[in-house]
Amino acid sequence: MKLYEYAIRRIVLMVGVLVALSFIMFYLARGLLPPTTALAPFITPRMNDIEKLSLAQSLGVATASCPSFGAFSVQAAGCVVPLWGQYIGWLQQIVSGNWGYTLLPGIAGTQTTWNVFWARFPFTAELAIGASILTILIGFPLGIISATHNNKPPDHASRIIALGGYSLPQFWFAAILQIVFVLYVTLGGSGILPGSGSLSTTCGLCLANIGTIHTYSGMPMLDSLLSGNIPYFWDSLLALILPALVLSITSIGALTRIIRSSMLETLRQDYILLARSKGLKERVIVYKHALRNAVLPAVTISGLLVAFFLGGVVVIEDVFSWPGVGSTAVAAISVVDVNFIELYTLVTALIIVVANLAVDIIYAKVDPRIRYS
Amino acid sequence: MKEELETETVQEAGTRRTSDVRFSLHLLRSNPLVVIGIVISVGTLVLSAVSGLLVNPGSWQHYAPQLGLCWNNPVVNWGFKNIFNCGGSVYPLGTDLKGRDLLSMIILAIPTDVEIALEVVASAVVIGVVFGAIAGYAGGLLDELILRLTDVFLSIPVILLALVLVVVLEARGLPVSLSLLTIALVVTWWPVYVRLVRSQVLSEKERPYVESLRAMGASRTRILFLHVIPNSIYPLLVQATLDIGSVILTVSALIFIGLTPNPYYPELGNLVNMGIQHLAIAPWLVIFPGLTIFIISLGFNLLGDGIRDVFDPRLRR
Repeated sequence: MKLYEYAIRRIVLMVGVLVALSFIMFYLARGLLPPTTALAPFITPRMNDIEKLSLAQSLGVATASCPSFGAFSVQAAGCVVPLWGQYIGWLQQIVSGNWGYTLLPGIAGTQTTWNVFWARFPFTAELAIGASILTILIGFPLGIISATHNNKPPDHASRIIALGGYSLPQFWFAAILQIVFVLYVTLGGSGILPGSGSLSTTCGLCLANIGTIHTYSGMPMLDSLLSGNIPYFWDSLLALILPALVLSITSIGALTRIIRSSMLETLRQDYILLARSKGLKERVIVYKHALRNAVLPAVTISGLLVAFFLGGVVVIEDVFSWPGVGSTAVAAISVVDVNFIELYTLVTALIIVVANLAVDIIYAKVDPRIRYS
Repeated sequence: MKEELETETVQEAGTRRTSDVRFSLHLLRSNPLVVIGIVISVGTLVLSAVSGLLVNPGSWQHYAPQLGLCWNNPVVNWGFKNIFNCGGSVYPLGTDLKGRDLLSMIILAIPTDVEIALEVVASAVVIGVVFGAIAGYAGGLLDELILRLTDVFLSIPVILLALVLVVVLEARGLPVSLSLLTIALVVTWWPVYVRLVRSQVLSEKERPYVESLRAMGASRTRILFLHVIPNSIYPLLVQATLDIGSVILTVSALIFIGLTPNPYYPELGNLVNMGIQHLAIAPWLVIFPGLTIFIISLGFNLLGDGIRDVFDPRLRR
């Protein structure tokens, strides 16, 4: 199979997976709840029953022969379109970009779901990117040390850090960091780091006068850099430290293990033996000869990290009141805002699937031994 | 010489197996981290079994608000003056808002989490073995279908799917309960095992012993369930052990972010959630229940990691 054939096959499968995914979420949220749930994102308080009925019909939830909105809401026989039909109607709506208004408390009915999602997404992206960078910075050296000191104390220590991080309850670790850096370690009367939100001007290290920035990407750190506002950047960075630390410590294990095993495998190769017999220094062997060949799997995994973090931020964002899509999803679920949940699930899944595909293709490109099937 | 090797008697095979087990146990014992893992996980299981004898299971409903949020254990000094008074008796880990002894609450909470974890993992393993075996052994369209289904479920974040399930069922009139959470977690957890069993079955079924079984006329189901699956048991065992820790983490996280049947019910995530509102005046309420989750999860992870190493053929050489 050629590479492009393989890629096309994968993309077709990917679309199938996303459609199936949207149907599962649709079934869960709409199939199990009364049909009037479907109208919530589009309804306005001033609508009368006739308008509501025609809305339900235009959304493909009520049948054309349904006599009244009352009959529809008590699910009278022949009034509610079967779930498959409703799904098709819903699909038409969202494909044409009509996600309706948000049901989130405070802003319900005033902003569209689409706008709310994309206004908050950059915050989550910033957190995910920050956590990935931190994970790579800690994970790579840890994995290499672990391999070069195989079965010696540094290896055990790195293993404990990896497994320990993996076993940490994120919400609890977050709370402990908040206790330490917000309550106990103080500077000028308040904790040195902010314990919640994406920007704070009142923590010990924070700067009070930060001015304003222009919104380019929606990510506070990137935008403040682009606007040339360093104090703003500094405060955003401080706010990012604790949530990013929790995310990366709890997932560092996967990266470390992969680097360790691929490094061990490489160090066993004949050409390393040759390098040793030539009398090269151990440092040169490890960092120049072995590392370059061992990092390939690790680099691809690092690419997946961002995607993984984008899907794994729900709890962290909730604990740190981070204004991203994860904490919003929790709020959306509690008010059964089906469209927001769908949008969140689909975007997250799309990123994960695309990242996987990209990694597979890059892998196949770089390593000629890999065959597509 | 060659003949001797091939005509291993039943007795000799038995001795080989015993020495194999003995060698595995030796490997397990020789790694201090694994020993710690065994101690923690066995300790957790024992503690769960006897927790009802140590603490009255109904005592979580006995509130004594006048003793709320007090700390009088002289071993730890929090660095601030505790504003509430415990009266005469000593509470080793302090009390919560309702004046209940935190240590007793943790002892009561451990079996709740362990039970959910065991149920979720056991159900996921059963589903995984059945569907994974079917997919791997039948192949073709059925295999493709099962694989794509696991793809779909694996691309949804676990926490999100469980949250949606529980909230929707709650809106249908089903109150949030621990069994509902268990079901939601099983729904999200099975695909990993299907994948695992499938790949094991695929690699096992090409082995010569399966071919000879087929030549001897053994039926497909017999080969599958009596030979292929028992031979794929170790990776399954490793994954299941590791997952007990992960399920405990996930379940406590779900309850922590609000899927709780009762805010005062003794469950570890619930206890942390209850304490988080009093972080500034009673940090012990957050520290100790969470530490318990961490230790239990670490124990099962160390054990699973150890088992993986022991059955790693490269280490056995």
